[in-house]
Amino acid sequence: MSLLGLSAQAAAGAMLGVAALVLLLYLLKPASRRLVVPSMVIWRLVLRTRKPTPDRLRWWLSLLLALLIALSLTLALVRPQLAVYGGRAQRVVLVVDDSATLAAIASDGKTRFQHALERARELVQADAAGGFMIADTRRQIASPHFQSREAALSTLAQLKVAPGGKPQFPNVLRSGERDVRAVLITDGVAAIDAPAGVETRSVYQVADNVGITAFEVRALPRDLHRFQAYVEVLNASPGAKQVELQLTGAGAVPIKRVLQLAGGARAAEVLDVSGYAAGPIRASVDSAYDALPLDDVAFSYLPPSKPIRVVLVSAGNAALERSLRLLPRVQLGVIAPAKYAPRSGVDVWVFDRFAPRAAPSSAALLFRPPPTDWLPRAGGELRETNVAAWSSVHPVTDSVSLRDVLAERALYIREVLHAQVLASDPARRPLILASASGPRWVEVAFSLEDSNLQLQAGFPAFLSNTLNWMTGEPLALNAGLGLTELPVVHAKVLDLQGQPVRVRELPEATLVESLQPNFYTAIAPDRRVRVAVNLLDPAVTEINRTALAAAPPAQPSAGAAFLPPSSWLALLMLAAVLLLLEWWTFNRRLTI
Amino acid sequence: MAAPGALLDESFLRKLEVLSLATRRPVHGQLKGVHRSRRVGAGMVFTDFRPYASGDDIRNIDWGIYLRMDRLILKLFEEEADLPIYLFVDTSRSMDFGAPSKLDYARRIAAGLAYVALLNHDRVNLIAFADGVVQALPTRRGKNQAPQVFRFLEALRASGETSLHATLRRFFGSPRTRGLAVLISDFLDPQGIEPAFAVLRRFRHEVVVVHTLAPEEREPQLPEEVVLVDAEDGTTAELEITPSLLEAYRARFQQHVREIEAYCRKYGWAYLQASTAIAFEDLMLKMLRAEGWLR
Repeated sequence: MSLLGLSAQAAAGAMLGVAALVLLLYLLKPASRRLVVPSMVIWRLVLRTRKPTPDRLRWWLSLLLALLIALSLTLALVRPQLAVYGGRAQRVVLVVDDSATLAAIASDGKTRFQHALERARELVQADAAGGFMIADTRRQIASPHFQSREAALSTLAQLKVAPGGKPQFPNVLRSGERDVRAVLITDGVAAIDAPAGVETRSVYQVADNVGITAFEVRALPRDLHRFQAYVEVLNASPGAKQVELQLTGAGAVPIKRVLQLAGGARAAEVLDVSGYAAGPIRASVDSAYDALPLDDVAFSYLPPSKPIRVVLVSAGNAALERSLRLLPRVQLGVIAPAKYAPRSGVDVWVFDRFAPRAAPSSAALLFRPPPTDWLPRAGGELRETNVAAWSSVHPVTDSVSLRDVLAERALYIREVLHAQVLASDPARRPLILASASGPRWVEVAFSLEDSNLQLQAGFPAFLSNTLNWMTGEPLALNAGLGLTELPVVHAKVLDLQGQPVRVRELPEATLVESLQPNFYTAIAPDRRVRVAVNLLDPAVTEINRTALAAAPPAQPSAGAAFLPPSSWLALLMLAAVLLLLEWWTFNRRLTI
Repeated sequence: MAAPGALLDESFLRKLEVLSLATRRPVHGQLKGVHRSRRVGAGMVFTDFRPYASGDDIRNIDWGIYLRMDRLILKLFEEEADLPIYLFVDTSRSMDFGAPSKLDYARRIAAGLAYVALLNHDRVNLIAFADGVVQALPTRRGKNQAPQVFRFLEALRASGETSLHATLRRFFGSPRTRGLAVLISDFLDPQGIEPAFAVLRRFRHEVVVVHTLAPEEREPQLPEEVVLVDAEDGTTAELEITPSLLEAYRARFQQHVREIEAYCRKYGWAYLQASTAIAFEDLMLKMLRAEGWLR
């Protein structure tokens, strides 16, 4: 039991204060009463025959006993923490691994993370340190700092498993600090690179685990109306497992497979999910004694199977044609500009260095169109320009980097009108515009021949985004566990069950924290974004791949504990003995 | 009738009127009194015969012897004389202690004894003393002198230290008729009692010692830690009162009392402990009579 658990300095201060108080009380002792007696004749005769203990000696003896009693009680109450070796106070840095594998359930029903917290608490309570810093490998604690024992325990209570991302040893150790003891409490699966001198405490225990390490829904290349789900299941258990794999979606019965997996074996299943309606698809595995639930479920999104009818109007652009053909669900038609005529049955027109006189009735993507009436007014030409700024929140440029896009020549667009500038040159002259008023269109001020846009890694995404935005197809993103940044603002985010999720608004995005797999739909004023949040990490599923030995039974730290946990009791007993001694000496007038 | 003042009330004085002081030895009074004296003269008590000489009172010739032996033999009688009484009252500051104070008790004893003596035509001398004779009332004789005696006693105030030896040496340094010396004191004399009592022995007075005590002296009630202040010389002693220390004090006080009493008994003096806890009438009418001082 720790009543106060002060640091050594605070305890020394408390004891000094108590000693000063005792001394003050002794100095403030009231003077003896003065009584007049008829004569001192008899008293002098009496005192002549007695040998009283010198008053000064008795005073000092009494003060010494009182100080010992008071300090024993104080010491018992405050339990100062001093280092045994070296005689100097130590500070302890406790780094708790809170990565996803710590969520694995041990044989006693507690998670590895709960064991890690228990170890940490034991260290904090038993260690004789001058201060405690609590940190974690997932940076849940943004600014670790040294604090008191009670505050450290409070900080520990706020920690939780933070799946997702790469766990790292926090940058909390400074070189040259010799009085700092650093302890990393981990299961060793995440292979955290701890600095030299850091003690490692293992909370690893062998456990069974079967998890989904990959899950994706794809359209068949030869038949864009059919979709397949690719599911990879890993048995990370030491022994063989029978696993039931199940896929569920809207509009059809679940698909089930029973797999027999040896220890460490993987199984890749390809399942036809064309029977499901567009929407989220849930994959799950079920096996006996599974320790990590996080990787037992995964989500994906089955897009609508309707093809996108695209007509490329170009005098000849093989690269663009090839890029469009590679996009899923795109049914591409190519015509020369001379043969262009407005017609129905086209979802998206792609105009390459051409623009019709009148706006088409469908959406249009235009690369360096000539000036025309329905587009923003343009005139002149820009030479040797490049994209200096672009929007990262617009669906067209979402997840597309235009940083290195250069253009030898570009149309000088002089008026924007009702369009939105998606990219501009260093002089803030628009290079890419988009309009959502009427049939949607996107105008790129330069041609693919005059620029390196087509060579950018994000060009297919640019095309895909554009087609999706123009046809109103929702985006489906994939994200890992942890914090997910949705490229929408002022959005209401719902989970798979349709319940609102707490979000954090950023200037250009919305943050959602997912501690377990889920499927979110962000509803923004202008669009919807769907996000499948999955673990899907073989390194996490393999919860037994550790360099550490199995965790030993918890033991209090022996390195720096000055006062054992029961020392306060001994101190109280000492105080009681001293009290008895004081009583005995007082009755014999050895003390005052 | 003399006004008794605050010392003795009327009814108590009436009780005293039937008493007289008793002496154990013949007195050396100069005037006629009621006490046996060593002088022969006109008394009632026959003491001896001697041959008649010219000038003798022929009324004392034993005529029977003359008829039988034809010789003139004179009968001798003890002459009854008065008694010189020296009443010493201690007025040192140590006497101003207790409730009632020892000084009050002492002057009431002195007043009672003086009143009885005056009634019996004894010569009463009152001496108030501390570290010497503080005040003295010249010899008084006869009942009509009682008011002066009472006034003298009432006017006494406690002051000074105690020096019985200096007092007696100074007082008896002048020629005094041998008589009855009554010492009323607490005898808390730093020099002890023996030098003082030696003076009395040297002058061969008959001595009565009245030892006034307060109950608080015998059983002091003191806190655990106390600074004792001597009422006479102002010296202090810081003491931690323990049961053993109190016990030692009680034993030493008792020894002090016993030493005084033993001294008195050794030399045939009368000794009486007069505790202020004892009712004054009981002291005068019972204890003094029981001791044979009053009859």
